[in-house]
Amino acid sequence: MGSLGDEIAEALSRKLDWELINRNQLIARFFAKSANVREQHLLNESAKFFLTQSQGNGTYLDVLERSLFELAQNQSAILVGFGSQIIFEDDSNSLHIRIIAPEKVRILRIRKQFHISESEAVKVLDTADRRHKRFVSTVFGINLEDSSLYHLTLNTASLSVDECVAAILALQQEHAERLKIEMESEQGPSIDHQSDLPVFKNPSEAEFAKILDMYQIDWKYEPKTFPVEWDAEGNVTLAFSPDFYLTKFDTYLELTTMNQKYVTEKNKKMKKVRELYPGTNVKIVYKKDFYSLIERFNINTD
Amino acid sequence: MAELVQRRIVYTAEDLRAKVAAMGRQISADYAGKDLVVIGVLKGSLYFFADLTRAIDIPIGIDVIAIGTIPNTTSKTGIVRITKDLDLDITGKHVLVIEDIIRTGLTTAYLVQNLEARRPASIKVCSLLVNPGQQLINVPIAYLGYEISDTWLIGYGMDVHEQGRSLPYIAELERNGSLKAPDGR
Repeated sequence: MGSLGDEIAEALSRKLDWELINRNQLIARFFAKSANVREQHLLNESAKFFLTQSQGNGTYLDVLERSLFELAQNQSAILVGFGSQIIFEDDSNSLHIRIIAPEKVRILRIRKQFHISESEAVKVLDTADRRHKRFVSTVFGINLEDSSLYHLTLNTASLSVDECVAAILALQQEHAERLKIEMESEQGPSIDHQSDLPVFKNPSEAEFAKILDMYQIDWKYEPKTFPVEWDAEGNVTLAFSPDFYLTKFDTYLELTTMNQKYVTEKNKKMKKVRELYPGTNVKIVYKKDFYSLIERFNINTD
Repeated sequence: MAELVQRRIVYTAEDLRAKVAAMGRQISADYAGKDLVVIGVLKGSLYFFADLTRAIDIPIGIDVIAIGTIPNTTSKTGIVRITKDLDLDITGKHVLVIEDIIRTGLTTAYLVQNLEARRPASIKVCSLLVNPGQQLINVPIAYLGYEISDTWLIGYGMDVHEQGRSLPYIAELERNGSLKAPDGR
């Protein structure tokens, strides 16, 4: 409360068109059928009750976890305020965000929001924090302030809701692209070995990266290797690692600034990639086109 | 400045009139009842844009945009920027971007990304010419006049060093020579 977490979650929900589920909606959302009115009341009031046996299989916590995993199979959602960072700790599709603000900032915001005195705001904040911490520590036995539980922590003392939303969306987009490449690699024989710090093998690649940057086209350098030939024992004997992957346009590009012998070889590999990995969009940037772009933008090729 | 010689006329003024009329009819049918804004990319699409918008017989909004490279103080390469922005608000509207020619697709990709951020209802591209062999980026080309190979073209808005834009036809050039038409024009 007072750290803008709810406001940021609501704004994200609107931007992404994802369902927002917070602590207050938890019982109605997941226990409407599996718990009677009395049990729902106890779940609302007592964190310990989550650890008792439910009417079905396992505890109410088990029911909650199963419901959330089922939900995650079918849709994306924003989960706030009930320890979902623990439930989805090992789920690589999830991003865990912590929103914080200094206590004095939170108290001031609560005062403004509810038109109450400072001492009343301190009490409201203390009660809200204790309730949340107690829930997570009782149900999951963890300390909420453990920074290793989060991928990103944002301090809203001097950040607006819009700034935080933009930061989270940027991370979400980058993470989704990385997962996409990883998933493709798991499903096929291709290998994901993208690096966040590209070390270009030759100056042409660095120059081409500059051109893509000029056009604000997002790229990754050699994110993937496509094996294209194997020996009788299944060992890879020929592979193709396109130089660039244009994430938004789902296109791999390979530069050819060398002599014709290499161009022929690359064309052969590209053809095989298209045959072996249907749907993969791979193109070659030929020498004349590359130099035409370099000339057009007067890029220093020293 | 290199002198330019026309090797041959690739598309006559008559060819272009017929093609543009057909494209206009198709666009009119596809966007009937929709709030469409047609955006011409300067300067190359100038004549194509003018003819095409007049060949569309449904109500449309028209606007133009220009992209250029401007120097960057921190880089030798400069940066690509919109040098003439839209006057119309395209939020929630259907947008059709009109290009004269798509070669690598880099410029169109930049433009589409930029316009997408303004949250139009949809965004598609209409290009008079495309060179598939040179295209690096698959931009959403919904309407296409002609596919071309790797040739040097002028006319109907396309230029070489600002020469030849106002020709009413599209001609293929020799690499060296004078800007003299095959028919002595």
